[in-house]
Amino acid sequence: MNKKLHPEIIKHFHSTTFTTPIIGVTGGKGGVGKSTIAVNLAAAFVAQGKKVALIDADVDAPNDSLLLGIPLENPEPVTIMQPVFDPEKCTDCQKCVKACQMNSLFRSQPKTITLLGECNGCEACYLVCPAEAIGRGSHSVGTLYTTKRGNLTLYTGALQPGLAESALLVNAVRKTAFADADLFDIILVDTAPGTHCNVIGALKGADHVLAVTEPTPLGAHDLELILSLLDMFAVQTSVVINRSDLPGQKAKTEKTGRAGSTPVAAEIKQNKDLLAGYLQGRPVVNLFPNSSTAKIFLGLADRLAAAYPDWKKQARQEQL
Amino acid sequence: MKEIVILSGKGGVGKSSLTAALAHLLTEKGTRLTLADTDVDAPNLHIVLGANFDRSRAVAASDKAIIDYEKCSRCMRCVDACAFSSIIGENEPIIISYSCEGCGVCALVCPEEAVSIHPVENGKINFVTSGAVRVVAGELGIGESSSGRLVDIVKREARQEASLNGSDLLLTDGPPGIGCPVIAALKGADYAILVSEPTPSALSDLQRIAEVVRGFGIPAGAVLNRSDMDPKSAGITQDWLVQNNIPLLGKIPYDPRLPQALARGALAVNMYPDAPSSLAIKELHKAVEGLLE
Repeated sequence: MNKKLHPEIIKHFHSTTFTTPIIGVTGGKGGVGKSTIAVNLAAAFVAQGKKVALIDADVDAPNDSLLLGIPLENPEPVTIMQPVFDPEKCTDCQKCVKACQMNSLFRSQPKTITLLGECNGCEACYLVCPAEAIGRGSHSVGTLYTTKRGNLTLYTGALQPGLAESALLVNAVRKTAFADADLFDIILVDTAPGTHCNVIGALKGADHVLAVTEPTPLGAHDLELILSLLDMFAVQTSVVINRSDLPGQKAKTEKTGRAGSTPVAAEIKQNKDLLAGYLQGRPVVNLFPNSSTAKIFLGLADRLAAAYPDWKKQARQEQL
Repeated sequence: MKEIVILSGKGGVGKSSLTAALAHLLTEKGTRLTLADTDVDAPNLHIVLGANFDRSRAVAASDKAIIDYEKCSRCMRCVDACAFSSIIGENEPIIISYSCEGCGVCALVCPEEAVSIHPVENGKINFVTSGAVRVVAGELGIGESSSGRLVDIVKREARQEASLNGSDLLLTDGPPGIGCPVIAALKGADYAILVSEPTPSALSDLQRIAEVVRGFGIPAGAVLNRSDMDPKSAGITQDWLVQNNIPLLGKIPYDPRLPQALARGALAVNMYPDAPSSLAIKELHKAVEGLLE
């Protein structure tokens, strides 16, 4: 099922209009600690004096603000186009009903077209209407938040429960953050779990991606999937093994498949400090700056920052 | 036949492990059931069950735009018209298949009729067996879209399978989140079991999924996994459940036996039947049996 991607698509995936490095945090599986890693890494970069943008692209379950202990600010609605029908102008040709691939338009009686199903704002109905009877209304699908705390700015989106437009919201959050890119030394992106289009959308432009996993059969299974996806897009990747001391299959996680040829950037054991930080909504890097766990994150931040010129060099070589 | 769906809002709180353990206990006590794995991005119920693949079938869960370059005049109108920025290119239009919604706007604006919309095979339905338990699992191709439609197909197949084998219960292991695949997993369910754990993040996600479930008018109960992880958070979650009339069906303490069993491809309820988590899941099993009456 792994199709070869068009080289233009890979190039498009990697193109950005700025030079600020982007680090993605993903993992395939839910609950392996993506957000914990992302907020602690953000805190580590801040501790080293860097200006950091953290994008929480898990718009279904945005939790980075809770883990950082900062309430969300500056809400802005994210809207999509939704058709508005003018029955006076409608000639009842029903071209709009035919054009709607979502099967969301319904004609109950002459000259009354109504939107019954979900609308993704594609504007097909608007385009085909010969009578200009369809106007562009707008419909809110979620909220975008920009929250500043010192050298850290958190960009979050929250999907309106009951709606399906996660991808649109991910794009809106990313665009807002990227518009400010020049203000930052580094941009971190925390993705949703899974290997679907939302995750790729969130990681667009990433110079390096940390794939977070845990040493369980489920972790190994989902890690293989996400590494295959990152490979399709030619993204530089390393693995972070969380809860590395879980009774399980660390050796298997490290040796098999793509995981076997992907470098391990860090290993984090289960520990009370991390759990305390998680429960209190404070990164360990701030709560226990001298703990061994904080040092792991600070070391990881150092290594990532040092590697940045190499990523750019490699990206340039790939484009040649 | 009853339909119960297991959801959580948050990933990694133990949905699949719980689904597998419940399925095993229910089957052992005589309930005939079919399982549906609707986490089509990362289907791993079969791993938790230690199950065998029977057969697999490719499915088309998406419609995508396809360009006939013989006809294309490179006018690039389709690039400008796409509301999802799914067509790129400098010299000729290229469809970014993974984000194409198949809405057909590109085909509508094309003056050469060079674009058409076709269903594409981008997923699989896997049929899996573990003892007496039949599992219908969806698997979306890596990097694909339309997980909601694939979940619809999985549920349709699972219902068919369930009626063929005379199941009393269709138990659905849901995807994480609250987006389209979750909504598809929830549709048609008689009851939703919401799995959470005592942390601020999990509570936030529980509140969001509870809102979705309420929106569909589906009754729900909750399970608190790793319930002894943090007494303060556990108290806050339980208070919230009481205030929102969501019954607590069970509390499962943290138990290292669970990952130990999982690492061996076995269920803790089988391998360590007297472990604290196994005893708690057995209590929960009674509550679920009650839901079936």
